[in-house]
Amino acid sequence: MKLIDSMAYSSSEEMMFGFAKYPVTTRSGLVIGGGAVIPEVVTHPRPGKEHDLKTLARELERANTDAMQRCVSIGHPSIVIENEHVFQMTNNPEWGAEISAQSAHKISDFKQKYGLNAAYRSTIADIRKPDMINLRDSERTEKVLESFKNCAKTADILSIESLGGKEVFDYSIIRNDITGLLFSQAVLGGRDMQWLWPQIVEIANENGCVPGGDTDCAQANTAMFMAGGFDAKDIPHTLAALSRAIGASRTLVAYECGALGPGKDCAYENPIIKAIAGIPISTEGKSSACAHSDLCGNVIAAVCDLWSNEAVQYQNMFGGSSAAVFTEILGYDTAAMNSSIMLGFEKQYQACLVNSDRYRDPQAFILCPDNAWAIGKAITDNADSLYARGRAAAIKCGELILADPELRLTTIEKKSLLAYMAEMETLPEDEDNFIDFCLNKYRKVKGFNPAAYGL
Amino acid sequence: MTDSKNTNNIFTRFDITAEEEEHAARIISSDSILQKVGECIIEGNEELIEQVVREALKTKSPLEVTNAGLIAGMKEVSRLWAEGSYFLPQVILSSDAMVAGIAVCEQKFGKPMEKKAKVITHTAEGDIHDIGQVIVNALLNANGFEVINLGCDVPVDEVVNACISHKPVLVTGTALMTTTMSAFPRIAEKLIKSDLEIPFVCGGGAVTEEYVNSFDLGIWGKEASQAPGMADDALKGLSWIELRKKWNG
Repeated sequence: MKLIDSMAYSSSEEMMFGFAKYPVTTRSGLVIGGGAVIPEVVTHPRPGKEHDLKTLARELERANTDAMQRCVSIGHPSIVIENEHVFQMTNNPEWGAEISAQSAHKISDFKQKYGLNAAYRSTIADIRKPDMINLRDSERTEKVLESFKNCAKTADILSIESLGGKEVFDYSIIRNDITGLLFSQAVLGGRDMQWLWPQIVEIANENGCVPGGDTDCAQANTAMFMAGGFDAKDIPHTLAALSRAIGASRTLVAYECGALGPGKDCAYENPIIKAIAGIPISTEGKSSACAHSDLCGNVIAAVCDLWSNEAVQYQNMFGGSSAAVFTEILGYDTAAMNSSIMLGFEKQYQACLVNSDRYRDPQAFILCPDNAWAIGKAITDNADSLYARGRAAAIKCGELILADPELRLTTIEKKSLLAYMAEMETLPEDEDNFIDFCLNKYRKVKGFNPAAYGL
Repeated sequence: MTDSKNTNNIFTRFDITAEEEEHAARIISSDSILQKVGECIIEGNEELIEQVVREALKTKSPLEVTNAGLIAGMKEVSRLWAEGSYFLPQVILSSDAMVAGIAVCEQKFGKPMEKKAKVITHTAEGDIHDIGQVIVNALLNANGFEVINLGCDVPVDEVVNACISHKPVLVTGTALMTTTMSAFPRIAEKLIKSDLEIPFVCGGGAVTEEYVNSFDLGIWGKEASQAPGMADDALKGLSWIELRKKWNG
């Protein structure tokens, strides 16, 4: 498969929230990336509601309806509703199908009654845990593909958070092993996506559905969560930043296979992806504090097209249900961004978002549009192989962090980063040699099956 | 872009303001070969540990190498982690080295070294996010417990049956998703019905203290690093009620 070797944007100055080089129109008529930022609310069932289809469907129907009703109540013109499948929705493919159909039906009702522009994103759960099954040949793999087929009939957008490479990644991240991160994210994850995504794109195209995108959530977000805040000591924040850069190489594969965006919200690597592929992206930051904490709450909105909350459990709050409350928060955030566009102040607004977090943490620093673009350029300039571009992204990421004296690092963070950089310099240049080296190094990782990656 | 001196009202880098000087590891033994064993553990040197332990076993008993070299080294690692000089991966690498070193001692000893007690770990049915459990396993192993690792996506009955057959001092459950943690109270209920009042530590992702404390046997595990301390308490004979009182609330 040919890897992307050019940038969609000639500089980061061209990148702006609400505008994508290649906007997407859903079958419900919603244009994403066409000049406005749209809220994307993700609702999640309460514990116990997953026990049977009827209960789960009712839970998500209430949550999704609450979200759209709140749009109507306070005048948000458009919204994307996303349901990330809980395990049971994909493990029983008819569950996901029914919930997708009911959501599409509700969206149609709101369109008819109020003129609300909404779309439904169905994110299939990747239940193919690499150390438990063969990624390419298992009952679970069949269920994932069947779920895509079922949901494509009614959903506007299809996505997944694919798990390829997760077994080697989990082994490596807790051992401070940058080589393992490169192998698991760039090579194994990328190869799994090259196998999976052409099938998703074909299913989506056959059904008039948008093949949205993927995310390196299973890996780069694991690194981000483990890195934690300023008071955490699980892994260095610089390692999480490098993992994010490598993750961009991986997530990009979906768009090389024909995905059109919007990219998945939890892909914090999406600013890099947008710089390269020009697709509309969904991002989350301060608005997803309900699901997890991060150190890039504002900057991650700088070039978004959908603005999301990651996931909020359905429950009652003083201001209504959580689905309604988060719709309101996201809606006002996007209203402010869209107002800045209307007034011609979008560059200034973007600068506020960026400067809020630029020097807060290395993870935020590398997602500033200029740095995201530079990492993207390193990826496209090294399009010889998945490995070459993943390594180039990580090295560029490290160079950017070390080059800016305004970005302060603790002694241990700097020491760690210098060690990763030195290790990456010693790695083979050629992908085949790197794979041979890693197949030997990681052969004992529990459940690692090279054949599942075509190796 | 922002000038650093103008960011005071935007953010404070508490990692830098609270940064402490990195401390070197302490000497763990006056005996040079045991010190070498300990250093392999402290440095997480899995490649060298087997050779160094073999060298030590020429003049020392397996028990002495284990207690005064391997375990003493691991204690120093725990201290360095607690004071902030080490990140988690350094602890895991030390744990890997510890497991490799123990294996060499066991080979010489002719039987497995005695473990403190059994702990059963699992990740909830329907949940495939097990990195938290992997960390718990490594920390328990490094602290001398025998870990019965049931893996992830483990059905309720499998956990209960393992408890019936192994009689562990502690059982742990990990879940990332709120929709999978509902297996925990079902496990607790079945354990009680089987007359097994084993402390059941549940943690990970969206698992909350309120939720875990809502069912008998449940103790909320906030961090993986708490696991060895909780297991030690269970080994001392603390009941689930006493453990909950000590670690939760």
